[in-house]
Amino acid sequence: MEEILSKIAHCVEFGKVNKAAPYPPDMKGLDGADELTREALDSGVKADVILKQALVEGMDRVGKKFSEKKIFIPQMLMSAKAMNAAIEHLKPYFKSGEVQRKGKFIIATVQGDLHDIGKNLVKMSIEGAGWEVIDLGVDVKVEKLLAAIEENPGAKIGLSALLTTTMGNMKDAVAAIKSKYPNNEVLIGGAPVNDDFRKQIGADYYAPDPQGVVAHLNK
Amino acid sequence: MKGIELIKKAFALQNVERVPWVPFVGCHGGHLINVTASEFLKSSDLIFKGVSKAVEIYKPDGIPVLFDLQVEAEALGCRLVWSDDNPPAVVSHVLLEGKTLSDLSVPSSTDGRIGIAIDAAKKLRKEFPDIALYGLITGPYTLALHLLGTDIFMKMLEAPEEILALLDFTKEVGKAMAGYYIDAGCDIIAVVDPMTSQIDPDSFEMFVHEPAKEIFDFIRAKGKLSSFFVCGHAQQNIEAMCATHPDNISIDENIPLDFVRDIALKNEISFGGNLKLTVVLLMGTPEDARREAMECLDLGGKIGFVLAPGCDLPKDTPPENIKAITELVNDEYLQQVERAKEKSETEIALLNMKDYGRVNKVIVDIITLDSESCAPCQYMVEAVKRVAPHFEGIVVWREHAIKKMEAVTFMNSLLVKNIPTICIDGKIAFVSKIPPQNELIAAIQQRINEKFKLIISSRRAEVLILGKNDAECKEAREAVELAMKETGKHISLKTSTDSAMKATFGVVNTPAIILTEHKIKARGEVPSVDIIKEWLKDI
Ligand code: B12
Repeated sequence: MEEILSKIAHCVEFGKVNKAAPYPPDMKGLDGADELTREALDSGVKADVILKQALVEGMDRVGKKFSEKKIFIPQMLMSAKAMNAAIEHLKPYFKSGEVQRKGKFIIATVQGDLHDIGKNLVKMSIEGAGWEVIDLGVDVKVEKLLAAIEENPGAKIGLSALLTTTMGNMKDAVAAIKSKYPNNEVLIGGAPVNDDFRKQIGADYYAPDPQGVVAHLNK
Repeated sequence: MKGIELIKKAFALQNVERVPWVPFVGCHGGHLINVTASEFLKSSDLIFKGVSKAVEIYKPDGIPVLFDLQVEAEALGCRLVWSDDNPPAVVSHVLLEGKTLSDLSVPSSTDGRIGIAIDAAKKLRKEFPDIALYGLITGPYTLALHLLGTDIFMKMLEAPEEILALLDFTKEVGKAMAGYYIDAGCDIIAVVDPMTSQIDPDSFEMFVHEPAKEIFDFIRAKGKLSSFFVCGHAQQNIEAMCATHPDNISIDENIPLDFVRDIALKNEISFGGNLKLTVVLLMGTPEDARREAMECLDLGGKIGFVLAPGCDLPKDTPPENIKAITELVNDEYLQQVERAKEKSETEIALLNMKDYGRVNKVIVDIITLDSESCAPCQYMVEAVKRVAPHFEGIVVWREHAIKKMEAVTFMNSLLVKNIPTICIDGKIAFVSKIPPQNELIAAIQQRINEKFKLIISSRRAEVLILGKNDAECKEAREAVELAMKETGKHISLKTSTDSAMKATFGVVNTPAIILTEHKIKARGEVPSVDIIKEWLKDI
């Protein structure tokens, strides 16, 4: 069991999706996260164990390498793709309740802002850390955020902004959320924002990269 | 020297007398003439007007015609979303909407807004023959992202041939655009490829190297200069950028300038950029902008460096901040002042100035760079010199040239921020502007009056008559009383016949008149020994 888990973690770390995938070149023809996860489940490994000991572990290594600039967006996205291939097999167990995720996380890029590369990386890392993520997309209006929180009580919220001109919209969104749902934790990120800005607008946490968010959520 | 020549010199890595300055004015040009970004970027007349305004107030050595990395994508069929205060954004990707690469062809010089850009370039060329005109084209990788969307990242790894073919196409678009701008009269073609900041050096080498190099070779073959702009965290790719062989690389604030300088110069390529766009240029003060520019000038040096913002100036950047940089670039003295200030902020202990200006004289301090070499400083010193004789014996003045460390300490202790500055008795009185004679006299006179009021209120005196209770003594007393009456002074007057008192004053013959004066120098505090020494000198 140990062996197959470490193989899955390796596939996630290096972005090996399935057998047919040409990437990475040194794993050509080998089974990927897709096949190995199926095999593990079939041989009786618990879904919960796969999630925690293979996927979370693999994404954690990826997150670290990304924040150390050892890998870049393309590699990170491949890892996320491999992770998603594995998650597909775990979905029935999420539904049946056999696998408990750590909680719900709503993520969005604020109104007026169309940048989503960073937000998507954060989303993948949080998913990889065992959370259920609700992605509202880009250019998200406050009403849509509030509706999503209404539907998912207790969810944490992550907001992304890449433009100085949309930082103001982030501020408004945080204020609206906090006045209606003071107990839901709001996290913020994106290149132009920082911890000072977080304090100014009354959000709860700022992280510079996905690794920082995951470390915070694991506290 | 003409801007274009200065830039050519910097690009050729020759020592320059002054670092060339290229503010990347994009839709900020719209701000300068009060139109929105979308109005601005859609009209060659407005672009011409906005850039002309920028040339007038920022006195650049070079300037872009248009900073809009969506022009090519739009001409190729991508949809844009327009905004009032930003350049537009690409929101649809033709290659995800049923088209394939073979359906696309290199746009002509009139497709989409290309004609507007080229028209603006021609007009600007005619109007400003002496400054370097930059034609900005979308880099091959960023254009590929526009056409394919973020799928490009994974496809690079999963289907590299497709991406190679795509970049082969975007390279052809780049060459065509470079050609249009060159024909319109541009001197420098900047290939702007911010998306390459998001990939690793191996991917850069595999996908970006060839196309970029081919564009640069093309520009060189046309006898023009080239620059490779990458906004963003591209530190890992600086070597790889140099290997594509542009004449210059331009980087943003995320990358340490000395790091880029060392790699660029090692590769015999000029370099530029680095001014912080958001926190300094957009949100800071002219003071911040000057300090930031000074740091860049010092790190960049006079060989191969072009001072420029990290990327496109945000539309609403306050023009004062950019003008402050223009001033600094053109003024050696200002640069020295800025340097001295930088030093002063880090290394200096402040003097305790609490007691400054409490001696009887009025002290005028002039903080200068050095009155011999800085003209305004010289004028300020002369102004004081001319006025001082009016207050013969009361006013003492001194110059503090901050080339000396003590002077820097002094300047900081008095909280002086600008050069030259006049302080009167330790208080800032005139900043940067040379005061007209009457104003300076009035300011000093006012201080003297204040001081005298203080002195008078602190003075106590008494007159003592020593004698024998005889007629002479009485006569003396009457004389003093009359004098006091005539001068309007009320001073306590005492008569004493005590022989011990006579002895203390060493008086033999009477009557004797003794005037004692008390000055209250300190109340409710203990002054420093230095201050007490100053008082004693007055006696
Ligand atoms: C890619 C990109 C685009 C793409 C976006 C594609 C997409 N699907 O996202 C396109 C071409 C569409 C685009 C458009 C525009 N862009 Co743009 N773009 C960039 C670019 C090159 C990279 C941004 C990026 O994806 N970085 C990579 C990701 C991984 O980093 P990140 O987003 O910062 O995210 C990380 C962290 O911040 C954090 N994080 C992010 N979100 C969150 C959220 C939470 C909760 C947490 C905890 C953490 C977190 O984790 C991430 C991973 O480490 C930058 C310049 C650069 N080189 O950086 C400009 C840049 C961001 N764009 C800029 C501008 C001005 C624009 C446009 C207005 C005009 C233009 N076309 O240039 C439009 C605006 C569109 C709009 N309304 O939003 C400016 C912004 C200036 C400013 N500060 O205001 C930049 C900085 C370029 C510049 N210097 O001029 N852009």
